[in-house]
Amino acid sequence: MTAPPLIPRRMAGVFVAGCAVLAVLPALDLSPYAHNQLTLSYVMIAGALAWNWMGGFVGQVSFGHAAMFGIGGFVAGRLMLHMQLPPPVCWLAGGVVAGVFTLAAHPTLRLRGPYFSIATIGIGEISRQVFTYWEEFTGGATGLSLPISAVQKYQLYWWALALAAAVALASIAIRRSSFGLRLLAIKADVDAAADVGISAALYQDAIFALSGAVVGVSGGIFASYFVFIEPGDMFGFDRSITFVLMAVIGGVGTSLGPALGAIVYVVLRNYLLASYPELHLGLFGVLVIVIILFQPLGITGLVRWLVRRVQRAASPGQP
Amino acid sequence: MSRFADLLVSTVLLAGLYATMSYGLGLIYGVLRVVNLAHGGVIMAGGYLGWVLYVRLGIDPYLTIPLVALASFGLGVALYQGLVRWLPRGAAGGPASLLLLFGVWLVLRNIAYALFTGNEQSITTAYSTRSLALLGVHLPVTRLAVLGIGLAIAAALHTLLRRTQVGRAIRAVAQNADSCTLVGIDVDRIYTLTFGIGTALSGIAGVLLATVFSFNPSSGASELLKAFVVVVLGGLGSIWGIALAALVLAAAETYAVLIMPSYLTTAVGFVLLVLVLVLRPGGFFGHRILA
Amino acid sequence: MAAAVSSFIAADLSPANRPPIAGETAMTHRTSPTSCHLLLALAVVSTGAACKPKATPAADRTEILIGATLPQTGTEARIGGQFKQGYELAFEEANQRGGLAVGGKKLPVKLTLYDDTSTQATAVSLADKLINSDKVDFLLGTYSTALVQAQSTTAEENKVPYVNGGGAAAEIYKRGYKYVFGALSPVQLLGTTLMTWIDEQQKAGKLPKPSKIALLWENTSHGKEFRQGISEFAARSGGGYEVAVDESFQLNGKDFSALLGKVKAAGTDLMLVDAHTQDYITMHRQYIDAGLCQKVVSYGARGAESDAVKALGQANVNYVLSGVWWNAQLAATNPLAKKFVEAFKVKFPDKTPEWGQALGYEAARALFTAIEQAGAIDREAVRAKLAALKIDSLLPGGVLEFPAATGGQMQASFVVQQNMPEGGSPIIFPKDVASAAGIAPNPQCKP
Repeated sequence: MTAPPLIPRRMAGVFVAGCAVLAVLPALDLSPYAHNQLTLSYVMIAGALAWNWMGGFVGQVSFGHAAMFGIGGFVAGRLMLHMQLPPPVCWLAGGVVAGVFTLAAHPTLRLRGPYFSIATIGIGEISRQVFTYWEEFTGGATGLSLPISAVQKYQLYWWALALAAAVALASIAIRRSSFGLRLLAIKADVDAAADVGISAALYQDAIFALSGAVVGVSGGIFASYFVFIEPGDMFGFDRSITFVLMAVIGGVGTSLGPALGAIVYVVLRNYLLASYPELHLGLFGVLVIVIILFQPLGITGLVRWLVRRVQRAASPGQP
Repeated sequence: MSRFADLLVSTVLLAGLYATMSYGLGLIYGVLRVVNLAHGGVIMAGGYLGWVLYVRLGIDPYLTIPLVALASFGLGVALYQGLVRWLPRGAAGGPASLLLLFGVWLVLRNIAYALFTGNEQSITTAYSTRSLALLGVHLPVTRLAVLGIGLAIAAALHTLLRRTQVGRAIRAVAQNADSCTLVGIDVDRIYTLTFGIGTALSGIAGVLLATVFSFNPSSGASELLKAFVVVVLGGLGSIWGIALAALVLAAAETYAVLIMPSYLTTAVGFVLLVLVLVLRPGGFFGHRILA
Repeated sequence: MAAAVSSFIAADLSPANRPPIAGETAMTHRTSPTSCHLLLALAVVSTGAACKPKATPAADRTEILIGATLPQTGTEARIGGQFKQGYELAFEEANQRGGLAVGGKKLPVKLTLYDDTSTQATAVSLADKLINSDKVDFLLGTYSTALVQAQSTTAEENKVPYVNGGGAAAEIYKRGYKYVFGALSPVQLLGTTLMTWIDEQQKAGKLPKPSKIALLWENTSHGKEFRQGISEFAARSGGGYEVAVDESFQLNGKDFSALLGKVKAAGTDLMLVDAHTQDYITMHRQYIDAGLCQKVVSYGARGAESDAVKALGQANVNYVLSGVWWNAQLAATNPLAKKFVEAFKVKFPDKTPEWGQALGYEAARALFTAIEQAGAIDREAVRAKLAALKIDSLLPGGVLEFPAATGGQMQASFVVQQNMPEGGSPIIFPKDVASAAGIAPNPQCKP
């Protein structure tokens, strides 16, 4: 029997259709603010999904992904500033460097659970302090200012969409592939997985590096979007927490949940800031608490629950 | 020589600070395996509570400690009963527990902003800026108090855990919660108690820190991160381990300034954190925790 | 939002009932409904948001919309709150006059203010929202260099005039932007002004020659430029000053004892620091604890804040110098400053304005003046008027302008003040606004 296709034809069809809709959206009199918010959302979607490969598929929750994000951003920024290479090349270069950096964090992969998480906090903080100090690379506290180009910013929409789509497809593919199964095995019981010949080190390294590289690329696009980046912000603990939040809100471990989480995070946060300035922190905190307690799989879990409820209501007689 | 003595004194006083602000985190983690990301928020809240009691009621900050401890204990119990105990069983240590308490931290921050605005506050008394001169070294009274009270807390915790029935139960639950249920220990009650005590410790740390540093509603993040380092270095769940680790961290940071720019000295702690986790995850006194 | 959710639920039904394709496990089967719904919902939400709000034609405008963000939470909340008060006062005054005269009639000004939580990304996103969603005509700036530096790019991208009183680093104005105007003088001048006064003392024989300087600076743009100001002055002084310690420190540090130990060991005469209020309080406390007593101490723009005096105790802050962009004492010599202070006290009784309120007020006033000069709600016209602006000001020097040579950043002098034992912090420099003579070396230090 042949293996099931990595991406079922029907799903691929819906996916392509959806992307096509999104791609032509700007031509349909889309407001500039929505255009920019969507661009940002796509970047965040890519980052959240990539984080989820580590945090959800393998179960190794990282609180230090800001390190890769920042490295990707500053490498891309520096290349754009000094070598005037086309942005996509710079972003990819940023991703590659971030991926290599992640490989250097290999020793932490032996740790499980909260110990890994705490180690990543350490790596994140070390990165922040070292890179803030490394002025030639990040510009230190002054940060990095890129030249403004309204045309380039407008076109970021499609590059970000392409990245988000690629990462989403990769998420689905990985999850459905034997690679994904091996990751799940490692997540469930790393020793048993080793017993059946799955090398935890190899697979974790691979997915960690991939996750780091993608987050690095998203950092590069982020840099192009904001035009001004600063190490305290790019490498900060708050930024790392953002990835975790987006994935958890959307559904850790699901293949596309974090994408939903990213959208909700971007949209909701701006909404709260604009409409409830004095309460935005508390409201967001309450949201997080409610999600964690009542629906650990976040929005995806909520949707599935609703689906089951509706299904049960629609066909009451069946077992 | 004087420089060396100065640095030594700085180290000990700084260690007192670090230890005091880590006990709460360490206790909760050691027993419940929950990483209390609200630790920083409770420190901030404790500071504000002590400050309010001092400014509005005129109670000396050190005398507010029992009140703050009580209030923080209540908060801890409420947090556990209301939120933490509803976490799914296997969630301890996973992102769920971390984020739940992160949400609590956000709420605490918002409450503080609403009540007190973003201005810097500080607890200053008539003796706040006095210092004792000892052999040419200046020992600020406030820091000595933190060191002294911190040691008292360590001793009290040690007594609680080693000499009392409740303490034995706590240690038993920390080792193996399931077996405890079998022998009739009400694990949930122990968890509630421990969380309450841990939160109380964080609250006390808040008051003490407020006498030494200024604070605002956003405070707490750096204390949280430092406490992480201390707790990991000391071996999660060991009181004296925390005290010793605080000393090691304080020494590393203080003496690091001799060989590197002061800006980078805070990174030293995190380097130690990662090294310890990777090379000797049990810290100095704890058990091995690799899967 | 509701439309999205309902389409979500409605779309759920069909794919979920599909029997599993051979080879698909239940687990993988689950991913497809969610992915469909994700994309459908996204498409729906975006088309919903796609409707561009129609712009009101110029003739029908009933008010002038001005947008701003300020840090009301987060690390810069304290001064963000001060700027807010300044903006509020300026808007209230303008509207009490009936508004601004444009196109033959008077239109009121309306401020749309958001909290950027002291984070750059938020400041940028909210500026985007203000411009593209709320359709404001002009922008007033936020506070703190990093936020202004980030947010000003959005203003420049969208060609919206951006007047700020919160970005002091010269970096912001060196990028060749045309729409960004800064009322806050560069921090480098702060360093130079302090050194000028110190130099006077040295020439009068009150300070040793050469004097050793301990230069400590927070690792931010602000700190770097302060350092530049001091070190360049020292380098130009021909041997009058030697920078013996030159170290940066992290914001919100907890422990400076090691750093201060270095200062002690170097035996410096002057300690010049650039720090935020929180670090100033922490460091100065530890400075006292360490038994340090330098002939001249300054924490840059900090020193006289009442919460700091309360936290440290009057005796310990005596003779500390600070250089500020504005001080309420200028009311004695500057009529506009006097008017401002009086108006402020009416609106906010029992409060004395500090530089934050003054700069916020002045930035808004500059924008209003430019709008009236242009006589139209036209971004290009207002921009041109801002570039050519020259008006009386409550700032030191009495004149507000945005010279093109500096990229649009005001170059007013700072006022140096010194905390005195009897309380208060009179201005000691420059002479034309000074109300007391500065004292150096610190008489409290035992020789």
